[in-house]
Amino acid sequence: MAILVTKDSKVMVQGITGGAGKFHTERMIGYGTNVIGGVTPGKGGQTVAERPVFDTVEECVLATGADVSVIFLPARFVKEAAIEAIRAGIKFLVVIPEHIPIHDMLWVRKEAVAHGATVIGGNTAGVITPGEANLGIMPDIAFTPGRVGTVSRSGSITYYVADTLTQSGYGETTCVGLGGDPVLGSTFAEILMEFEEDEATKAVVMCGEIGGVYEEIATDVIPKMTTPVLAMIGGVFAPEGKRMGHAGAIVEGKMGTAKEKLAMLADAGAHPCKTFKAIPETLAKLGV
Amino acid sequence: MRLYEFEGKELFAKFRIPIPKSRIAGSVDEVFSHVQEWGIPVALKSQVLTGGRGKAGGIKLAEGANEARTVASDLFNLTIKGFPVERLLIEPKLDIKQEFYIGVTIDRAKYKLVIIASGEGGVDIEKTAEENPEKIIRKEIGIDEELYGFEAMGIAKKIGIPSDLLKTGGAIIVKLYNLFKKYDAKLVEINPLVLTSDGKLIAADARVSLDDDAVFRHADLKEMGIEARHEEGEMTEREKQAQEWGIPYLDLGGNIGMFPGGAGFGIMGNDFIHYYGGEPANFMDSGGGPSPERIAKMLVLLDENPNVKVIFGARFGGISRCDDFAKGVIMFLREHGLSKPLVMRMTGNVWQEGVRLFEEAKAESPELFEHIETHGIETPIEQISMRAVELAKQAEGGN
Repeated sequence: MAILVTKDSKVMVQGITGGAGKFHTERMIGYGTNVIGGVTPGKGGQTVAERPVFDTVEECVLATGADVSVIFLPARFVKEAAIEAIRAGIKFLVVIPEHIPIHDMLWVRKEAVAHGATVIGGNTAGVITPGEANLGIMPDIAFTPGRVGTVSRSGSITYYVADTLTQSGYGETTCVGLGGDPVLGSTFAEILMEFEEDEATKAVVMCGEIGGVYEEIATDVIPKMTTPVLAMIGGVFAPEGKRMGHAGAIVEGKMGTAKEKLAMLADAGAHPCKTFKAIPETLAKLGV
Repeated sequence: MRLYEFEGKELFAKFRIPIPKSRIAGSVDEVFSHVQEWGIPVALKSQVLTGGRGKAGGIKLAEGANEARTVASDLFNLTIKGFPVERLLIEPKLDIKQEFYIGVTIDRAKYKLVIIASGEGGVDIEKTAEENPEKIIRKEIGIDEELYGFEAMGIAKKIGIPSDLLKTGGAIIVKLYNLFKKYDAKLVEINPLVLTSDGKLIAADARVSLDDDAVFRHADLKEMGIEARHEEGEMTEREKQAQEWGIPYLDLGGNIGMFPGGAGFGIMGNDFIHYYGGEPANFMDSGGGPSPERIAKMLVLLDENPNVKVIFGARFGGISRCDDFAKGVIMFLREHGLSKPLVMRMTGNVWQEGVRLFEEAKAESPELFEHIETHGIETPIEQISMRAVELAKQAEGGN
């Protein structure tokens, strides 16, 4: 088993005719992902990678039964595209672009909650269930099917963690890129609970970073979990008050420093890891 | 994007939030002539993009034009948290009876807008929230919801705005909320909202922070002279250069040049270097899907930085493809040349093509690769981090 996406998911791509959309659609299909079509308004009737292109999400869903969508569109179009997908019945949405206006994400989140949909991102590398489906831009080479789940704010950290799990023989159930934008479609807490309910996932590695609030609210659910949680936080040595790349990674006064986040997570029962190679060592100690 | 107080007040005026009459001045002479014209006691307020300017001595009162001249010349010499004072806002000195706090922001954990209000304005609101949480009124609102007048009046009443001013106070809160939504704000604050001795409510200060990622849909800001800007204090020359090239970059003071992929490992890689006993010279972020040109510029920044003794490269290609990465590195080697050791690891999307490009270039001009150690997925990144620290120590020892 896995969470959020499997080989049976019917995946559509919004922005399938664009440069990145087309390139990564082909990659996703090459991985074995069940991509059934895509949407670009005004380009209905075309095909990309032998998959049909529709003008609207509604048409695509009616014709193909799509239940998952991956968005490859400029940030300013994400609000419309995401709400269109959610209202057309898409239950799982992966938002790849970065720099989505914060107020737009609040609207998208509201719509998702009202319709029981899950949104991941923006500024995410995507979600992969190794051996089954790869949604987004993650490089196949890092991943192999296995028994540990990962959830991370950053794409590159996901790759390093997965690579470590792959090399050490643990493999991954599902790897979720939560996203680097300041307001995200889902929280660590929500994804951790998904993993908790997945029998195949024997442990979860969560990787956060300085800034934001999502690591802190994970402490509400970690004590309730039976699945062990390993935690890494980037930015322990980051200079205070400086903006470091990810829009979300800003040290806001006393809130959100890496040291405080790690301490809070450890208090809640998570197992802190400083480096990637500490992950298999910790898993071995836990008997996973 | 944080606005100057005077810009925030222009937005307030647009929404008919009452503000004091004001003038902006860029020189002592301008201050003198404005105050002389008014002929009343004034407040001179440094315009800087940082908090705590009051405590830093950035706000001063002056009884008349001559005093204003002396005070202004002191203020123009101030630098507050790295921000030099270049402009002063001149306002009539207010006769203050009571000060309130009104703010709107976003609770990212709850996905709600939040109105925060207090009867104790003019002070550090975070401190009040910590020490006397009962003195803070907090109301959460969904992004799709309207703030009604009666709700706003309820808030006004709770923070102690007198009955005869409830309608006015409520209206100010509604207008502030509407401004927040209209302009894609992250934070708007009136601190303090002043009740004057003659019974008027007036926004004595304005703090407005807008979402950089939504500025594109507010063309009128530019018409008002409000340009997109960098929020940090003084930048180093290299930081300015990087900003011009659109590369997120910070100078940090160590000797290991960090040449990472995205921000995620950009941040964590710096921690790794510390864990293994080294000091990063910088933070950098390539951004998603960098072009070869951008990759080459990242290396130029590091190669030309005299503090950098060794460059530590890490590329785990996702949306950023390894072939583009390799092209960028090769472009840099051919056009600029590398003057210090570079140890790097490259894997991820299209890595085979990246490796092929490197081998081809190396066969053609092996001398370009003399100081380069390349690794693939078989070498853990921890090992590369340790190697970078080791090379940096050797380089320092050799000096």
